[in-house]
Order: sequence, then structure tokens, then C-alpha cells
Amino acid sequence: MNRHTFIVVLVSLLALTGRTQQPVPVADPKPFLDDLAKKMASVSTVYLEFTQERVLKLFNEPLTAEGVMLIARPGLIRWENTSPYESILLGNEKSVAQFERNGGKWEKLKIGFPQMLQRVMKQMTLLNQGRLDAMTADYTVSVATGEVAVVNLVPKDANIREMLASLEITLKPDFSATMQVQMNEPNGDYTRIRFRNEKRDAKFPDATFDQTKPMPVATVKETVNRAP
Amino acid sequence: MRPSLLLGMLLLVGCSTTKGPLIDLPADGFVNHRAVLNAPGRQFTFNGYLSLNAAGAKRLVIAENFGGVLADVLVKPDGKVFVMKSSAAFPADRIRNYVAADLESVFGTKGGRMTSPEKNHVVLKRFGYSLDIRVLDIKAGPRDAKLFDEAGAEQP
Repeated sequence: MNRHTFIVVLVSLLALTGRTQQPVPVADPKPFLDDLAKKMASVSTVYLEFTQERVLKLFNEPLTAEGVMLIARPGLIRWENTSPYESILLGNEKSVAQFERNGGKWEKLKIGFPQMLQRVMKQMTLLNQGRLDAMTADYTVSVATGEVAVVNLVPKDANIREMLASLEITLKPDFSATMQVQMNEPNGDYTRIRFRNEKRDAKFPDATFDQTKPMPVATVKETVNRAP
Repeated sequence: MRPSLLLGMLLLVGCSTTKGPLIDLPADGFVNHRAVLNAPGRQFTFNGYLSLNAAGAKRLVIAENFGGVLADVLVKPDGKVFVMKSSAAFPADRIRNYVAADLESVFGTKGGRMTSPEKNHVVLKRFGYSLDIRVLDIKAGPRDAKLFDEAGAEQP
């Protein structure tokens, strides 16, 4: 074998072995969902940094935003956009709050439809706590496994399907991290949220979820990243 | 100064109309912005994506916090308004009567009761509501021609 042939064979082998295998649908998603719920039941908090990509067919480039998401049991959630604008959404089992950075100051907003936002925040909390069984009333759930695990949720309500065709959650196969969530719209547009730097059972500073004066995100990040 | 004269001056200042955009815009380009709609007792936040062309057409896409598109409107250079997508939050008549008018005030030459507290930040005051708009990014350069084509618009 000459040098050239050897390189071609090597590259071909690498390409073959490195090819991503499509996850294979499982016939019965229940055991998978039970396993996920069981593993996540022992997780008290989740910290995630994210990049949100909005892909519209109208535009040639995705619209991106950066932020962090924090979840703590029993039902606390903080969704914060840090760039290109600053906004905080906070939810607990009873209420939601929104803060917007304007002119260098945080302003607490009088949310227009708090019930709708509360529902979205609750679903996000359930998703990230692995409690997908609680969502089967509203969604048809299917699962595919392989190099990654993909949970696909299709809204049962036809009116909701006009806005949201499906919701895809990609996890590491051992459920050790949520990799991304993709919201697909009927016309092919989608929003993809890629997560990174996931930390489970991190201790959050007091007032992280305070709906009157939330702890600044810089302090939260520092505390979480400082922990061993 | 007599109270009535002072009141009159205050009313005049309060009703002052600004002509033309308070934001430096390219003829062709893209404007990414964040908006807070202030209605009595309620506030709503949106993300706005505005495409402009040199002929004077404007295409605005309004999305909610998690990315879902709530409204999509095209305003042609002659002022004709085409609703490309409406939603329960933004029905077609609201887009035609309010969104398009606000778009022409803030980013066009229609003017209105506007102030600019800082660079790239405009507050538009209307009867019954106000709109607080902060520009996040402006990209100059031609946009895809399909953006300014009314084909596919919702029927009135």
C-alpha cells in the first residue's frame, strides 16, 4: 500500500467510525420515561448556560441570544437572557415575575398574561426535572435512543399544533445532561436552545429566585462555578 | 408665571411631535430590537426584527420571549400594509391599525410623540399605550428581495 492509498483508507475508516448514528425509535417510551424520572428525582437543582438560536426561513442567518436557566425543587425556575438584551423570568408554583433591564436599571414589569407565562414556566420546569409523565395529558410522547436520547413531544391540541408542531429534547444517553431543546413550527421555522456547562445539585445563593429583588446573575454564576 | 400658562406649556411639551426617526438607520439593513409595550396596568415584552430596503419598504417580524412569531408585517414604499402573519396576540386588524403605524413612526418618517432617553432608545407615546424600543443591533447591507415581496400575505 503506497502512502496515498494508506491516507485515503485511513480517512475513510475515520469517516465511517465517526459517522453519527441516528437515534432509533423505541416501541414503548414508558420504561425510558420512568428511568429518566427516577434518575432526575434525586437532582435538587440544575444550572445551565444556553445559546438560543432562532432560525426563520425569511432570514439567512440565525438570530441568537445567550442566557442561563436555573431550576430548583420543588418548582422554582429562573430563565435569564443576558445578551443581546437583559431580561429575567422567574417562576414558582404560585406566581411568575419578569424583570427588564432598561437604562442600566432593572424594572419589574406588570406581566400582561401571567397565567400563560406560568404555564410555560411550569412545563419548562417539568421538562428539566425529567417529569415528562406529567406532560402526557397535553403531548404525545415518543422516544428514540442511540448516541443521544431524543424525546419528541407533539401537542395533542390542534390549535397549539398550529403554532408548535413538536418539541424535541436531546439528552446524553445516560441522562447526565440536557444537550438541547428544539421547538419546531409547522412552517419549518424553529428555535433551538443549546445548553452547556450543566451543573446539577449546585447550591444557589439566597434570592436567586426572589421575585422582588433577584440576585444578580454574575453572583449566581460565580457561586455555582466556584463550587467543587 | 400663571398656573394656566404653565399648564399650557406643559401640555404643549407633552404633545410635541417628532418628525422622522430618532435612530440612525441604513437605507438597506436589519435592525434587531427589544420592545416593551406599556398598557394600563400591564406590560408585554417582544423581540423585533426589522428589515429595510433602499426603496423604502419595511418588513417587521415580532416574536415573543421564547422565539414564537406573533406578527409579521410588510409595509411597501407607497404605505400599503400587508399582514404576512397574524396571531391571537396580534390579530390582523391590530397589525394594520397599530403595529404598521407604530413602525412608520419609530422607523419611518411619519413621526409621533417620541422621546429618545439615550442613543438607540425610543419611547413612543400613543393614546392608551406607549412603546419602549431599544435597538440591540443594526446591520447595514442589502436584504433578500423575498422579504419585500407581498406574495403569501394573509387575505384581508
